[in-house]
Amino acid sequence: MIPKDRKLYLALLAPTLLVLLVFIVAPITQSIISSFHRIIIGLPQLNSPFIGLENYQELFHDSVARHSFWVTLLFVSTTTFFELLLGLLLALLIHHRFPGRGSLRACVLIPWAIPTVVSAQMWRFLFNDAYGMINYAIFGHGVAHYIPWLAKPGTALFAIILADIWKTSSFAALLILAGLQIIPEELYQAAKVDGASMWRRFWHVTWPLIRPAILVALLFRTIDAFRVFDLAFVMTQGGPADATNVLQLYGYKKMFVEGWMGYGSTISVSVFVIVLVLAVVYVRMVGRRLLEASL
Amino acid sequence: MNWRPLTKTIRLFILLAIVFLSVPSRASEPQTIVFLMWKPNQPEVRERLIERFHETHPNIRVQVQIGPHSSTEFHAIVTQRLKNKDTSVDVFLMDVIWPAEFASAGWAVDLTSRFSKKAQKAFLPATIAANTYHGRIYGVPYFLDAGLFYYRKDLLDKYSFDPPKSWHDMLAQGKAILKGEADPTLHIFSAQFKQYEGLVCDMLEFIWSHGGRIIDQRTGKVLVAEPPSIQAVTFVRDQIIGKAAPQGVINYEEPESLEVFLQGKAVFHRNWPYAWTVANDPERSKVAGRVGVGTLPAFPGHRPAAALGGWQFGISRWSEHVEEAWEFVEFMTSFDSQEILAIQAGLAPTRVAVYKDPVVQDKMPHLKDFLPAFKSARPRPVSPLYPMISQELQRFFSRAIAESKTDVQNLAQATSARIRRVVQMEAAVRR
Amino acid sequence: MKKGWLKKGALVVGVLMAIFFSLVPFLLFVSSAFKTQTQVTAIPPQLWPSFDIDFFRSAIVRYDILGYLVNSIVVAGSTTLVTILLGTLAGYALARLPRPWAHFSLMLILACAMFPQIAIVGPVWQLLRWLGWLNTYQGLVLPYVALTLPLTVWILALFFREMPEELEAAALVDGCSRIEALVKVIVPLSAPGLFTAAILTFIYAWNEFFLALLIVTDPARQTMPVGIALFQGEHTVPWGEIAAASLITTAPLVVLVLLFQQRIVTGLSAGAIKG
Repeated sequence: MIPKDRKLYLALLAPTLLVLLVFIVAPITQSIISSFHRIIIGLPQLNSPFIGLENYQELFHDSVARHSFWVTLLFVSTTTFFELLLGLLLALLIHHRFPGRGSLRACVLIPWAIPTVVSAQMWRFLFNDAYGMINYAIFGHGVAHYIPWLAKPGTALFAIILADIWKTSSFAALLILAGLQIIPEELYQAAKVDGASMWRRFWHVTWPLIRPAILVALLFRTIDAFRVFDLAFVMTQGGPADATNVLQLYGYKKMFVEGWMGYGSTISVSVFVIVLVLAVVYVRMVGRRLLEASL
Repeated sequence: MNWRPLTKTIRLFILLAIVFLSVPSRASEPQTIVFLMWKPNQPEVRERLIERFHETHPNIRVQVQIGPHSSTEFHAIVTQRLKNKDTSVDVFLMDVIWPAEFASAGWAVDLTSRFSKKAQKAFLPATIAANTYHGRIYGVPYFLDAGLFYYRKDLLDKYSFDPPKSWHDMLAQGKAILKGEADPTLHIFSAQFKQYEGLVCDMLEFIWSHGGRIIDQRTGKVLVAEPPSIQAVTFVRDQIIGKAAPQGVINYEEPESLEVFLQGKAVFHRNWPYAWTVANDPERSKVAGRVGVGTLPAFPGHRPAAALGGWQFGISRWSEHVEEAWEFVEFMTSFDSQEILAIQAGLAPTRVAVYKDPVVQDKMPHLKDFLPAFKSARPRPVSPLYPMISQELQRFFSRAIAESKTDVQNLAQATSARIRRVVQMEAAVRR
Repeated sequence: MKKGWLKKGALVVGVLMAIFFSLVPFLLFVSSAFKTQTQVTAIPPQLWPSFDIDFFRSAIVRYDILGYLVNSIVVAGSTTLVTILLGTLAGYALARLPRPWAHFSLMLILACAMFPQIAIVGPVWQLLRWLGWLNTYQGLVLPYVALTLPLTVWILALFFREMPEELEAAALVDGCSRIEALVKVIVPLSAPGLFTAAILTFIYAWNEFFLALLIVTDPARQTMPVGIALFQGEHTVPWGEIAAASLITTAPLVVLVLLFQQRIVTGLSAGAIKG
């Protein structure tokens, strides 16, 4: 049909690959190399010696890093699940034809539109134990009952999870919505004519056709969730008692606060490996068939 | 195949690239020095000072660049440039805990030849100590910060109390006042206990005033798991968090903890000197004019101790205008500048003479009250790896006080081991 | 008849909940923009503001919000344009390349998106310094393009794959070149995908904080998130001004999104895609 013009495709890919090479691949390589050296900013006399896998051995025995990993895992699983669920519901809602749905779409995008640092400050303000609106909403004037959300290890993590769900559900909704809007109306008409109920229409028409969009949303949300930083940084700085010390925040503290570049890079590489494994698993299990099926 | 459309695309791309590259980058003018600082509360005062510098030093222009307010974030920015040998910064501010790190890393110019011992004597000794590393001086103290004890003068007067000298007295007075006032939203105490650098300052004040220490600077021995320290930490966990102070202080930095006091919801408050001006500003504070300030309490048999804070000027090793930078630093830390900063910006001066200046005493009478507290100020452990030590301490303190039944002894010992490793790392390099 | 009522009811409840969930937290926060200083942190909190606009004045005059706004628009706008341009070309290539090549490239591109940003910052900063691009627009735009390309390429590749090759074949027969076929036939039909990718890219660039913080220290070039974060003085959190700034920042985005939405809808009604 159309000529398989390899040279053209390569030329089209070239600019993208160039940008990615310079700004992502090269820095990643440098980071990986750093993880094999002992680099401490405060002690330049060390001369950054090569230490092989010592950083990784240290990471393996680091109880704080282990704790960070579990905190991050909990964060990722909870937020991804709820964001996809809410995203799907929101997308289905917006997809319905009713007057004013353009404004609804705009409303729903507002959380996503606010800069993360601002929304983190906002939630910090709302969760405040003395003048926060959330306490007021639940307990009214009973100031003595107010909960110090960000001061207790359990509720602090909950607060960050809620803040992320609020902000990112619309991201998932937007992606799934785009997938929904490609489904031709005729398929629904045909199903209606065949007497299919709303649930059967959803399960047999909608669900199979939006799986690619859901997969993309799932994939990118998981990747992003593993790298959460801004929320924890602004709302709690990783506390209290390391309850919200997510991996990227721990890595940041090691690299930029303690000046331990080598070890910090080790943490980054580990996060990268974890996420890479996850992505491969996703695509293997679900993706490839979908990518192929969509043609 | 038809290449025309493709070359059109490529040309468009090149055009875009050219558009971007032709955005002019800042060319450096002769004798311009770059001063990197964070955003001050009253920028006009500093701007006026810099204008004055321009008038008296016509051959030098100072260009100010603003970084984040938070010490940790500012540290990230400054170190990023210095470790990459960036020549675009000449003068920068250093938090009181950085000079050792900057000196060891070779980022700050050794000022010993320019800043003579005689000139150093004009400054408060603790501030000079914080800028000295292995006998040489690497920064000039800009302004001073130390932990101060604020209290509601009106409430203490009402119940005929004198400002408490011990922590137990504070608790007793607080309980009496709370009972008398019958206000369920009133607390005894408010301070900073979030897991950040401020936590280390507040906790050290408890530990030091109990005779405890973190590191013996001379022998390098780590003392954080010794009984005095453990007892002080346990005291905070059991008597302060959730009892004298609201549970929420575990997430408070300076602003939130101060808010509680400003709203009239705390009898006693620990904060830096800046809080004095804010607490007496009727637009921001409901207790303006009813506030007293003094030295922090201590435990019986021990002297009070305040954590030393404040900022210093440093000159970058990679600066191409070291002489001009020094002139700027000298100007900004001169008697006249410190006098202006004290009166107009409420910054506590580091020169002893300024406290005795009649104009300052007239316009800022409370500075005299601060002086004893400032004299009791102690620096945090001096080490190029202080950030690592601080992280371990923050972790330890936060874990110890966040819940009511924590094994402080165990946590302290684990922390002690980790801090010992850091000290050994530094020692190994010095050999 | 009853079924109709139930459905309508469920719809209304759903819409109301969606609006409540999305808007109320934000409204509660920005109402602070209209309060006085002591009202903002009143204990217990005061719900109703006194419609004082001092914070707005302060935000614009003392904190130079409008300057940050302009920088954000330039950076986010440029990033979106470049990313969509490069992403369209790359996405098309990947949609038409033979499967094994396409999968391999897509995974490679995905791998780029997976690395934690904090580790990239250091080397990127060094590169930009070497190029003299610190404190410039392009110094932010190019890293942002690199960070937003993966998702864009994925979205567009998936969309372009939905397009049967017959469409281009027909265009070629009509005398178009490959690129013209792409631009005149495929792209318009993929409008939903393009606008989705554009919005996501724009918002990402608009929100980005960490890189912007480290790369741009000159206030004249700083973007909104950095500007707002720097509102905090030595020890104060100016909630009122932050709230005012949040309102000013969000407004252009909402306008933009409303505009884009029209295009998505019209793109759809331009005819069926399959069959």
